[in-house]
Amino acid sequence: MKKLLTLVLALAMLLSVCAFSASAEELVDGKFAETKHITVEIYNRNNDGGTDPTNNVYTDYIKAGMLEKYNVEVEFVSIGRWTEVDDMNTALAAGDAPDVCVTYSYPTIQSYADMGGIINLNDIGGKPLEEYKDLLPNLWNLLGDTNIFWDQDPDTGNLWAVEATLADNARINTFIRKDWLDKLGLELPTTEEEFYNCLVAFRDNAETLLGADADKMVPYSTSYDIGWRNDLLFMSYVPEDAKDEDLYINGFDDRHLLYPNYKEGVRVLNKWYNEGLVWKDFAEYASDSSHEDDMMKAGFVGAFQHNWDYPYRGGEDSIQANLQRNVGEDACYIAVDTFVNEAGVHRKFLAPGIDRKVFFPMTNEEPLASLLYLDFISDPETIAFLQLGKEGETYNVVDGGYEKVATTGDYLQNSLNNIDYTITVNGLYLGDATAVTTARGYEKVDPELIMTANAAAKADGRIVETYHVGAITAEQEYGTRLPEFRDSLLNKAVTASVEEFDAAYDQGMDDYLANGGQEIIDERAAKMEQYYGYTAE
Amino acid sequence: MSKNTIVSQGRVGTQSANFKSYMRRYGTLYLLLILPVIFFLVFRYIPMAWILGAFKENNIFKAPWELAWAKNNGFEWFVKAFNDRTFINALRNTITLNLLDLVCGFPAPILLALMLNELTFKRFKKITQTVLYMPHFLSWIIISGLALRLLASNDGLINILYKRIVGNADASIPFMSNNNWWVGTYVVLGIWKEAGWGTIIYLAALTSISPELYEAAAVDGAGRFKRIWHVTLPGLRPTIITLLIMNLGRILGSEFDRPLALSNKLVTDVSQVISIYVYQNGLKANKFALTTAVGLFQSVVGVLFLIAANQLAKRFGERGIM
Repeated sequence: MKKLLTLVLALAMLLSVCAFSASAEELVDGKFAETKHITVEIYNRNNDGGTDPTNNVYTDYIKAGMLEKYNVEVEFVSIGRWTEVDDMNTALAAGDAPDVCVTYSYPTIQSYADMGGIINLNDIGGKPLEEYKDLLPNLWNLLGDTNIFWDQDPDTGNLWAVEATLADNARINTFIRKDWLDKLGLELPTTEEEFYNCLVAFRDNAETLLGADADKMVPYSTSYDIGWRNDLLFMSYVPEDAKDEDLYINGFDDRHLLYPNYKEGVRVLNKWYNEGLVWKDFAEYASDSSHEDDMMKAGFVGAFQHNWDYPYRGGEDSIQANLQRNVGEDACYIAVDTFVNEAGVHRKFLAPGIDRKVFFPMTNEEPLASLLYLDFISDPETIAFLQLGKEGETYNVVDGGYEKVATTGDYLQNSLNNIDYTITVNGLYLGDATAVTTARGYEKVDPELIMTANAAAKADGRIVETYHVGAITAEQEYGTRLPEFRDSLLNKAVTASVEEFDAAYDQGMDDYLANGGQEIIDERAAKMEQYYGYTAE
Repeated sequence: MSKNTIVSQGRVGTQSANFKSYMRRYGTLYLLLILPVIFFLVFRYIPMAWILGAFKENNIFKAPWELAWAKNNGFEWFVKAFNDRTFINALRNTITLNLLDLVCGFPAPILLALMLNELTFKRFKKITQTVLYMPHFLSWIIISGLALRLLASNDGLINILYKRIVGNADASIPFMSNNNWWVGTYVVLGIWKEAGWGTIIYLAALTSISPELYEAAAVDGAGRFKRIWHVTLPGLRPTIITLLIMNLGRILGSEFDRPLALSNKLVTDVSQVISIYVYQNGLKANKFALTTAVGLFQSVVGVLFLIAANQLAKRFGERGIM
């Protein structure tokens, strides 16, 4: 297959003329004199009852808007959401990637840029991006210099992608069954110890809580993705005085594996596991298994950590809605801010305000029209329409914001708030109306629960400074396989017996470091020294 | 001189006449051959030029011949692979799993075919065969789902029963989470899925054994097992040898969906095989040159095994496949 792709690619390269020209002179009154055509990537989620992501009322809006404003025809090309990196690789390698591409994976962009497959945004029509600023007011307003030049190489000035903005950086929450706590006469836990006591109480009162299903009791559940699913617990073991510079140097892994004292957090989970507080079979179920969600929906799971709004997502099919159907109206998961570090702070490490990365592959012959597309899609008016839809159909105006209503018709949104179309922003971007709209954005879920969750997820949040030191070669080399080593290490360590925990963890960490982890740390440290004069401790 | 010319001209004349009549007769068959030949040229032979990519710099946007040679006299990627612990692990796992598959999985369809062959009740035989073929049509993804529901350490059906039988709620068999058990599960599931399908070729071969041989053996007083041993098995021998040679040629080849679907994070030490290594590094990390090198290595070793097995077979008086 690979060979075939190469062949097709080679033919395409022979046939196509790679030279492109772009200049603002083509524009007359901000509009192309001659109709241009661009293709734009759109995720396909294949959701039940969803609309064709390349052709629906929202794409019609975009197409009409682009044609009217800039005389640019837009065509959408779908890429599988759950296989985006593989699909994107295939498309890029075959030379038929859309003109405007979006991905969550910067390493993909970097490696294709290294092979000469990506347009340098600082060299469109021979001019740096800065010179197009006047043409792109909305893009600049939304992203600012920070996000636009986030990935700019400090030496060469090359810029392969712009970073979309993350409008809401709520990340992870701890959820617990409020109705179980009430039943057992327990308070919402505010420390790790209280949380642990709750789990023990769930385990020991399985008969009371689940009756005949007592043997299905899971006081605390996690998945194989230990790093994500227990982040708040682990982060409470990271010393409060850890410096940004050091956290950056040890910050390659997005689950924070290399942060100081991480192991002690994992040790706690290992202890819980061996006391029968954690779902026993979590490691055996793969990423696409719905088994854990099903257990939550059936009402067997006492507590877990997950994406900040996880149990509330999905309307009728959400965990919360299913739980209430299966167990009773009072059954409910509530977010609790439980884990406190040694300084008494509910420390959470939040992601910096970047999200997806937008780039143009070398096959893009209309970079200027593509830039204008980014400006159009960043226009607050466009964003508002895409996120909200049509009044009375997908939302109603309420005091201080909007309330989304479920729809199955043409205005159905394939992704939450149409995030797949608003490629330059993730999260509601409605100015002052955002907070209220977020809280009311989940059908069937009490807005109070959402506000609690959103606040809990961000309380005492810390965003580690990103140091712009250019591409780290070792990350390209080992970046994609290290998560495998991380998951393997954490799964083995957590399921080991208490006595064998140290051996399992240390062995796994040695493997992780030997398979590229150490090289990444060393290179980051060297770059920090080179560009910021910082010497790692 | 002139005589010679005349003679040779005459020969050419008859040859071309022969050729014409030959083509008139068989031409359409050659016509039929054109499409497959084009297929093999375009999809099998021309792409072989890209094997050169294993010795060149990594770049998917240029053809290998436009690229500079890789370091180490072009052997950079081979050196890299063999210095990579992950690759060595994958190599070891591939060989282990394939050998186990060969030792346990290869005889399974033969035994099954022999047993099916002994069934006299026609209808029962047909139904049994159909049931045995079924698993072949399930994808590994489905089977891995089934396997998990049956074999999960704690809430798998078999372990739930096991707990009841031994009367200990903490007892469980780690089918999917212990390295050795996992390898066993992998091999057994492979046999379960493919053994039935594998019988087809043997059953076909069995039909070519002359019934007279059985009758003669029966007359000579051979019982059922003797007849299997002295008539059926020798009749199957060429088929068995051919399949064995072909299987040995795949000793370094590896399935992709089977280990990927059955694996989990606890058993990566034994479940990461070369195909997964290639997927992780090639498709996911864009190291196409490295993975081309790995693919080339796999193929070369495969061919060596194939030739060796073939020679061995010939030495033992079999016909071989080449």
